[in-house]
Amino acid sequence: MPEDFLPIAVLIILATGLSFTILLLGQIFGPRRPNPRKGSPYESGMRPYGKGQRRVPIHYYLIAVLFILFDVEIIFILPWAVVLRDLGIFGLIEMGLFVAILLIGFVYAWKKGALEWD
Amino acid sequence: MIPLSWYLILAASIFCIGLYGVLARRNAIAILMGIELMLNAVNINLVAFWRYLTPSIINGQVFAIIVFAVAASEVAVGLALIISIYRRKTTVAVEEINLMKW
Amino acid sequence: MPIVPFDTSMIAAISAELLLLLLAGVILAVDMIWGSKQKDHLGWITAGGLLFILLISLIFTRPEPVERLIFGGMLRQDWLTFTFRLIFLFAAAITSLLSINLKGITGRGEYYALLVVTTLGMSLMAASADLIMLYLAIETTSIPLYILAGFMKSDDKSTESGIKYFLFGALTSTVMLYGFSLLYGFSGETNLYLLSERLTGGEISIWVLGGAALLVLVGFSFKVSAVPFHFWSPDVYEGAPTPITAYISTASKAAGFAVLVRVMITVFPEISLYWTSILAVVATATMTVGNMVALAQKNIKRLLAYSSIAHAGYALIGLVAFSELGIASLLFYLAAYVVTNLAAFAIVVFFANTVGSDEIADYAGLSRRSPGLAFAMLIAFLSLAGMPPLAGFVAKFYVFAAAVESGLIWLAFVGVLNAIIGLYYYMTVLKVVYLYRSDDDEVPIAVSRPAAIALGVSVIAVLGIGIASGPWLGWALDTASSLF
Repeated sequence: MPEDFLPIAVLIILATGLSFTILLLGQIFGPRRPNPRKGSPYESGMRPYGKGQRRVPIHYYLIAVLFILFDVEIIFILPWAVVLRDLGIFGLIEMGLFVAILLIGFVYAWKKGALEWD
Repeated sequence: MIPLSWYLILAASIFCIGLYGVLARRNAIAILMGIELMLNAVNINLVAFWRYLTPSIINGQVFAIIVFAVAASEVAVGLALIISIYRRKTTVAVEEINLMKW
Repeated sequence: MPIVPFDTSMIAAISAELLLLLLAGVILAVDMIWGSKQKDHLGWITAGGLLFILLISLIFTRPEPVERLIFGGMLRQDWLTFTFRLIFLFAAAITSLLSINLKGITGRGEYYALLVVTTLGMSLMAASADLIMLYLAIETTSIPLYILAGFMKSDDKSTESGIKYFLFGALTSTVMLYGFSLLYGFSGETNLYLLSERLTGGEISIWVLGGAALLVLVGFSFKVSAVPFHFWSPDVYEGAPTPITAYISTASKAAGFAVLVRVMITVFPEISLYWTSILAVVATATMTVGNMVALAQKNIKRLLAYSSIAHAGYALIGLVAFSELGIASLLFYLAAYVVTNLAAFAIVVFFANTVGSDEIADYAGLSRRSPGLAFAMLIAFLSLAGMPPLAGFVAKFYVFAAAVESGLIWLAFVGVLNAIIGLYYYMTVLKVVYLYRSDDDEVPIAVSRPAAIALGVSVIAVLGIGIASGPWLGWALDTASSLF
């Protein structure tokens, strides 16, 4: 029903309104003393070097892919943890098997040198 | 409560946007993103059906979780294949991947 | 169809799958420990392990007299599961034998482990009785196959074949998954057998149900490479490592038919009139396109790719007939096709290992270079063409008989016409092999032991299924009756 969306609409209006107000207030009251340091891209206080866009070593993708694969398993572990007490010893063994299979994969990736960074 | 059909329309639209992306884009990574969008549409469908039809049994939720995990591994393999073709051809545009025809 | 509560006999029912998982682990472990030496042994370990699992599943996974749903309804223990499991294990063992002397493969441990995992996925595909399990099994089959198709990283064609297979496969499986989500939505069930109970009674409009059936059919048509979802197969077949091509064209296709048969017959019997008509058109188009385009091929792997598309069309006739005889003839057809195509690809592997070419023109003079190989090729190709007394003939005969029995005389007629076209291009290849001469007539084709074993076993199977077809058909009929 449309009226169910009313809170969301209010939230959207408030959120946009608030951010615009803050920006506007900053524009009006903030002192403006530009210098080159301030205009440069933010890089944790370090002096930026090179272009912002550059090639990332292909190795990065391997690590990222491994991360995705092992990270997504949490989606199975989290619901399991919630009902662990109800499942009892059976659930523990099941999850042990699941993690063991993952662990084999992890050890294999490790042994094959997928985690070496050189 | 919002009627079920709204979720289904949303899922169908996302599915179509994804399908359009797959068919219209020429970049293999963009095609992969389109496929991911379609998978998310499926997940919206599954979770919405679960919430409205069978909230007491969790089969829909489990289905969605499995789809999640499979999608992740599918992407991992897809990216690996895209990298391997990029190394050979330095392109990910699908119309340039055309060594074999007919 | 009741879901049986857990007991230990269910572990025996999936012993083959458990052992396959173990085998994959063993292969990886052996690969890690031995490193780069002793690479041939991995292939023997894989083939031996698969053969062992084949025997184990022949003895221990025989279905109970009454079909049952096990593991909370995830799997169904019946003859269909059992029969297809044996087919997959056989094809995988032959494929690993063919792979032993394959050049251009780095990382053999991963290669064999992926082969075993994809076999595991297929076995679960045939057994799945639940949408969740079915999707998981299909992806467990497909994802390793994508990698295997693109396994030769230094080969342009192989990488291209890998990515094409992946993009087509991911798209069609997602469309199919959307269909699954709708089926779940119509019934609130994910189990195929409970789902079909909910769908009967006509509460769901035929159009909506038909739409979901169409979406699901997209995914299955990709797996069996039926028109119009066949575009990937020639490119993938040409580029992939040849043993993997053999595996995709046989076991993966058979797995596609296993789920196609199970899902269509279990879930959509109410609208069978509609989907059988659609599949009749698809079968006609698949046979015709496959055979017509095959006529123009110069590359043996592409020729076999189009021929395998055509064979998917013939096999579909069995499903279109929608009778026990139809399903039995489909199963028989698949068994005959799997062994025949494995034999044909074994010859391609032999030839490519020695000559390094897949062009049909280079096969000239094969009968002089290696009479035994040429004779094996004669048997395999005549069986593909459907010549008596080989397996392909009996299989085609039963499929057409099933079509006639169901009153689809026109479809049987189209099939016969197509078989005649097929005969022409198979004969063209045999003509090159037997009548043409080449400059290398004196150079024999090197014979490697593992591939020779694979070829020998396949050829014997082609002859065995063809000549003594009775018991095999009986088995197929038993299997079919477990579905209805």
